[in-house]
Amino acid sequence: MPAYISGRNVNLTFRPPNRGPVRALQNFDIDIGEGEFLSIVGPSGCGKSTFLNVLLGLIKPDSGDIRMDGKPLAGPGTDRAMVFQEFGLLPWRTVQANVELGLELKGMGGDARRKLSQPLIEMIGLSGFEGHFPHELSGGMKQRVGLARALATDPNVLLMDEPFAALDAQTRDLMQVELLRIWQTAKKTVLFVTHQIEEAIYLSDRVMVMTKRPGRAKKIFKIDLPRPRDYEMRVTPEFNKLKLQIWNELKDEITV
Amino acid sequence: MGGARGVPVAGRTMTDARALETGVAPAADPGAPGRSLWHRLEPTILGTTSIVVLLVVWELLPRLITVSAGTKLFFTTPSQIAGTLWRLFATGSIWTPLGVSASGFALGLSLSIVVGLPLGVLIGRSRTLNAMLDPFITAFNATPRLVFLPLLMLWFGLGLEMKVVIVFIGALFPILINTYEGVRNADKTLINVVRSFGASEWDIARLVVVPNAMPYIVAGLRLAIGRAVLGVVVAEFFGSESGLGVMMVQAAGRYQVDVVFSGLIVFAVLSLAMTAMVQVLESRLTRWRPQRAGEE
Repeated sequence: MPAYISGRNVNLTFRPPNRGPVRALQNFDIDIGEGEFLSIVGPSGCGKSTFLNVLLGLIKPDSGDIRMDGKPLAGPGTDRAMVFQEFGLLPWRTVQANVELGLELKGMGGDARRKLSQPLIEMIGLSGFEGHFPHELSGGMKQRVGLARALATDPNVLLMDEPFAALDAQTRDLMQVELLRIWQTAKKTVLFVTHQIEEAIYLSDRVMVMTKRPGRAKKIFKIDLPRPRDYEMRVTPEFNKLKLQIWNELKDEITV
Repeated sequence: MGGARGVPVAGRTMTDARALETGVAPAADPGAPGRSLWHRLEPTILGTTSIVVLLVVWELLPRLITVSAGTKLFFTTPSQIAGTLWRLFATGSIWTPLGVSASGFALGLSLSIVVGLPLGVLIGRSRTLNAMLDPFITAFNATPRLVFLPLLMLWFGLGLEMKVVIVFIGALFPILINTYEGVRNADKTLINVVRSFGASEWDIARLVVVPNAMPYIVAGLRLAIGRAVLGVVVAEFFGSESGLGVMMVQAAGRYQVDVVFSGLIVFAVLSLAMTAMVQVLESRLTRWRPQRAGEE
């Protein structure tokens, strides 16, 4: 599979004003195929979220070559969208206005926006909640809005930064099922950052384990479980074997 | 803005937070279910009663105790004030001075909003502008604005311009500094959200920074109204051709204490009305906030 997104030798060092420099990424390499679901697991602070922000175009790396569809990456664009960890909903905007944020910034008129946002709000099961404000929603509902907002501009690539970390375990399981359903129909390339190995295996085509800071790709696991996936797969021997393998790679990187 | 103004800013923000709280609390309270009518009306009844008692005592005092004719010159009663107020409005003689004062107030305050809000956003977002303007803002804010009065009278005369300027420099800083504080407080994640959709700096201000700063800005506006009224009063007391304050000073010179009180009451009512308007504005602008949810 030819890489849809490729990163070569990406280096990034943060230089905060009152502290010493922090090397976030060092010679980081990555290849993501078109339509692939790739997860990244790694210890806290290893630079995985940083790399998502680099791909999103919010942070410029110090050096390295990042290409998308063969073209070098330059700043934010509507071909990529992020689902944020703490949802990142604008609290003063209704559900509908939040979903339409990206469309509005593209300069799309109200009627055209509604035509696109309505089916999305329906898809995430929030019909009737269009006029609600974020504080009136549960965590799961908020992240559905975050997902719909990311999908609204119809990006090719979905970047997900621990999107379900703020949810309780049951809601999280349901959201994973939902995400797979949406991914299967929308056919997006997904880069998914998580702390949870089980979540990574359940969702992904491949799982990348990153080293501790400065982050590099340590090992990539191919997940050959059949699709569509169901909850029962999580208790199969194959699943648990993968879980153990990934954990063994990861645990050396974690310092308590 | 640098640490030099850290202390006054912190003090100001605290005051604002308190002002905000007291503004919200009584509105949220009456909605509480399961309370008797007396319980809900008790504060209102007690408050009204104490005002009525005060007015009655004031009214009766000159009738109960004998005061010399000389002392009487300095006193008045509520009924006299009410009569004078009625006369001032009925004959229309108050409209001209009121109009002069109100236009000075409105123009100066509007100007301070038009300048203070965008400037606060700019210095909150740009380190360069912040560094460049900080010395001026710190120095100006630390100086009591009324010391500029003689200079302003010299430059702008005794007319409307001088009043507008003194109101402007008084009201500017609460709005400017509160806007700045609110802008600095903006959520980084939310800024990244809109940036990821290709937002310009203008979009960031419009969609995230200003809505986020709105509670601060409204609190600043509240303070600014007080400063603006103060500016009008002082300008008119110390050197203006006309206005409500001029009317009061002239009346005091003629021992017309009832007219002085009438002017005082008009100022008080106008300030209260402005504060009420800000409260309405605030509840409209912050409809999305969780603590407001119970009221709807």
